[in-house]
Amino acid sequence: MAPLKNLETEYPIIDSSFRNFCASHGIFSVEDFLIHDLYMLAAFAEQNNSSERLKEGITQVLSIIDDMHQPWLNGMELLEDAKRNKHVLPTGIQGIDLLLGGGIHIGQLTELVGPSSSGKTQVCLQTASNVASTHMVLYLDTGNSFSPERIAYFLGKTNDLASAQAENQILQKVMSNILCHSVFDIFAMFDVLHQLESHLRYQDGGGCQMRLLIVDSISSLISPVLGSNSTQGRALMLSAGYLLKKLAHQHNLAVLVINHTVGSEGGSSKPALGDGWKSIPHSRLFLSCVHGSNDYNVLILKHPSKASGTAARFVI
Amino acid sequence: MGSHAKAWLVEDETASEMLERVQTERPFLLLPPLHRVPIRVGNVVELVGPSSSSKTHILIQAAITCILPKQWNGVSYGGLGHSAMFIDLDCRFDISRFSELLNHRIMEAGSSSNVDCHKMDSEDQFAGMKHYNEELFALCMKRFLYIRCYDSSEFLATLKTLHYRIRKEREAHGLNVHLLLIDSIGAFHWLDRGSSSFPPEGDNRKSWHLQNVSEAVVQEIRRLLLVHPMLVMATKAVVLGNNYSTNELTRNYGKWPAADNPYSRNVTSSDRQLPYREYMPAVWQSFVTHRTLVRATDDDLVNEERPNNSVYLLEWLMPPVNSLEKFTVTDTGVFILS
Repeated sequence: MAPLKNLETEYPIIDSSFRNFCASHGIFSVEDFLIHDLYMLAAFAEQNNSSERLKEGITQVLSIIDDMHQPWLNGMELLEDAKRNKHVLPTGIQGIDLLLGGGIHIGQLTELVGPSSSGKTQVCLQTASNVASTHMVLYLDTGNSFSPERIAYFLGKTNDLASAQAENQILQKVMSNILCHSVFDIFAMFDVLHQLESHLRYQDGGGCQMRLLIVDSISSLISPVLGSNSTQGRALMLSAGYLLKKLAHQHNLAVLVINHTVGSEGGSSKPALGDGWKSIPHSRLFLSCVHGSNDYNVLILKHPSKASGTAARFVI
Repeated sequence: MGSHAKAWLVEDETASEMLERVQTERPFLLLPPLHRVPIRVGNVVELVGPSSSSKTHILIQAAITCILPKQWNGVSYGGLGHSAMFIDLDCRFDISRFSELLNHRIMEAGSSSNVDCHKMDSEDQFAGMKHYNEELFALCMKRFLYIRCYDSSEFLATLKTLHYRIRKEREAHGLNVHLLLIDSIGAFHWLDRGSSSFPPEGDNRKSWHLQNVSEAVVQEIRRLLLVHPMLVMATKAVVLGNNYSTNELTRNYGKWPAADNPYSRNVTSSDRQLPYREYMPAVWQSFVTHRTLVRATDDDLVNEERPNNSVYLLEWLMPPVNSLEKFTVTDTGVFILS
């Protein structure tokens, strides 16, 4: 947070005498103002002989603080934004799209959780190939699981084109619309996401817009920093969650993350990121494979508008 | 001088006048499933519960009750006709869901009042009705004010400027904010605990630490309540100990043990009375005037009218009320089952 000193060029009222007054109350930055009682501060300013100027300064800082939060919106404005920008992105997998009422939500964080080979990465790849024909996709790969061959296979299956040339054209387009980044620790992910944030903020809205962000898998980035009693680790996990949700909402992305399962006592399995993470995603889908067939099961554990406990089958 | 003292002694109002004034200014609010205990403006109600125990849903239904009018065009909606503010710290609020629920409530009130006037079936009147509903919908939606915060500094910046925001709202629309909803109060707890405090430059410099942040939050809300009487409702996500099962785990798997979560061992003899581990600082705990615990039950409600709705339990922790409320949440509101 910027020290008060740096504000003087923009706001001349925050001069050295105002800063000295603040410093005598232990305030050196705007952040300090946030945890201070401004009414008390105003009362102290009252006793000062240049009280008018000091109070003006406090009012100025308050208006700076007013710009530090997100805007207040009323229900109609929110609904308008949702109708204009927050659509659903079809995954291209019939069973899942039907279950979720069209697909995964833009502006929200959707989590896929399941044991190994339950179709998690396959769902991500299929969704990426489906979305990439019209929009950009960012795929954060933590375990070298991204497979262009699978994308090509999915495309060949959905587009029944007569000419090989047309097929090749679509393949080219889809492949160039998917950006794949290998990240092997949580700090690398923060780097990529911060870059993405500044990139999205300054893009002029033209061209091909990014609509999908996939993290395959979020649990392999976060689990290593989660010690048994680590507050730092939990703080990092929550920061990652809030950053993903912020990106999703402000830049109209659907965020799809994978959470593994780990074994627990009694031979059963549970999500690798458990209770602390549970409050982060909007939706949580549990995937499992059906024994003796190529089918998979998807079960809603949490969803903003669908009842939890409903399930469907799908084929990839 | 004598007359001055006499004037001072003359009563402002009688007790019955006062009672009437208080009851109109600060009426009791009946917000199911919180109907068992009288709640009024100025109270701070905390809804404690694990993830997916309908906490946010209860907040949304309370907001809808607040923004709906008492009566509109001769139809009774049973609302309060005031503004509601929703501070979203979880950043998971879904406006389409909110608008769906509001529409359901409007339609339901409209259709139940039509029972006595069957002549409504002419198409003109139906279209007129639809128009009224849309107008009412827009009116209510504008009374709902929403903000999301991504960290504690945004939350504090919001609270510190909320007074101006409420005043602006009153000047612009002549409406009072009656309800302040916070979802959920502990959202940034671990972020603030993990944040390393910077080295203090002055002796009296407060560091950005959990304790100071919570104190500032409580202080701002307390200040605000003095100037703008509102009912504060906050949710708090907790992890329940092993004697309580959570909906998600047992209903869907039955196998995931709740026993090995890292917090269950903290439920020891010292805090046996609480089924969860308290993590909010004492300054917030003592600010709360009412506290309830909500959780999902394992049994589904199989019913013709409301198929497949989860059943939730509500328990009053403060004040302690010796009964469990069983309720279900549907598109048209909260329904008490027993």
